Amino acid sequence: MSIQNLNTFDPFADAIKSSEDDVQDGLVHVRIQQRNGRKTLTTVQGLSSEYDLKKIVRACKKEFACNGTVVEHPEYGEVLQLQGDQRENICQWLTKSGLVKPEQLKVHGF
Amino acid sequence: MDEDMIFDPSLKKKKKKKTGFDIDAALANEQGESASVEAPVEAGDVDVPEDENLDLDNFGKKKKKKKKTFFNLEELESALPETKEDKPPAEEPEPQEENLVDDLDLEIDFSKTKKKRRKKNLDELVAEEENRGEDQENADDLHGDWVSTDRDYTYDELLERVFDIMREKNPGMVSGKKQKFIMRPPQVVRIGTKKTSFANFTEICKTLHRQPKHLLDFLLAELGTSGSVDGNSQLIIKGRFQQKQIENVLRRYIKEYVTCHTCRSPDTILQKDTRLFFLQCETCGSRCSVASIKSGFQAVTGKRAAIRAKIA
Repeated sequence: MSIQNLNTFDPFADAIKSSEDDVQDGLVHVRIQQRNGRKTLTTVQGLSSEYDLKKIVRACKKEFACNGTVVEHPEYGEVLQLQGDQRENICQWLTKSGLVKPEQLKVHGF
Repeated sequence: MDEDMIFDPSLKKKKKKKTGFDIDAALANEQGESASVEAPVEAGDVDVPEDENLDLDNFGKKKKKKKKTFFNLEELESALPETKEDKPPAEEPEPQEENLVDDLDLEIDFSKTKKKRRKKNLDELVAEEENRGEDQENADDLHGDWVSTDRDYTYDELLERVFDIMREKNPGMVSGKKQKFIMRPPQVVRIGTKKTSFANFTEICKTLHRQPKHLLDFLLAELGTSGSVDGNSQLIIKGRFQQKQIENVLRRYIKEYVTCHTCRSPDTILQKDTRLFFLQCETCGSRCSVASIKSGFQAVTGKRAAIRAKIA
């Protein structure tokens, strides 16, 4: 018979782990911004810094046939910027490549 | 009796087929029904009232119906909420479907898209019209049917019974699941080429019982632009937006900040408590924190030279 209190189980293990996980809220925000005319810009914020964003952007540029950059932001870290409305594309691509889980994605904009 | 109670898949199929009927049929059906509730008329029948030879499908269906058909849970549920509260509006939307666009009804159930929802609504209406007559019929002789006898009751009967009791005891609960709350659609007009006006912004804030500032913050953060409320209490947003797009954002706002996360009732209060927003539900009493509005990263879209000039 085991007594619950004597177990070495740490009830807060989960909490610690999850808090580590969502350093940046755990969410990846995909936003759209309007530029001049019909032009738009897609930003992807909150990708884990473990990934090499430069490589990601290189792949995305090729995949979606658009230009893009990585912008360094003091508060939000590295942010991906892609030209045009790539929200659908980037969401699919991120989930397909396994970088982000679908429930972590948060798409903003209209 | 028993063979009737066994759920017949072909029956459902017929039903599905029938829901595809056009509006006229449904409307006609309705009139026909109101005239004679005792004998529920089918949509197909009314379509060709003079026509004696009904097609075989419908005929078979009708026969079965007289023998009291029992519905499976899904059908029951789809029929239930509508019968409760949507009866008056049920008649309205059909003749003027074009006008429906004006009457944006925001469903609490946001899982369905608007278009789908509307289409289904019509279908449901048709189905519901049919069911209504039967339900009454069923309910009446169902109770007496097996209560007095000592024969075994079927699952369908029990289901019917429990739903009847539920409806009787608390009408709000069963139908509350699909309770609608009708909202005026946002009036979105372009001003010039670069700005958009959201004319009934304050009105919508009032119907949602939210501070205009809160909704404003959310809208601007989601759309990634800037804007302000002008003298005529309309919202001016920078950028081009269509009504559909604003509707989408509003929908998201309602989902997050208006409807209760537990019971989905729109009867909630948003309170600020130590820098956090809490959503207090008036119906079920639940209280949960909601995400704060953050606009997040904003890329530089304007002229960099202008920004530099401003800073310097």
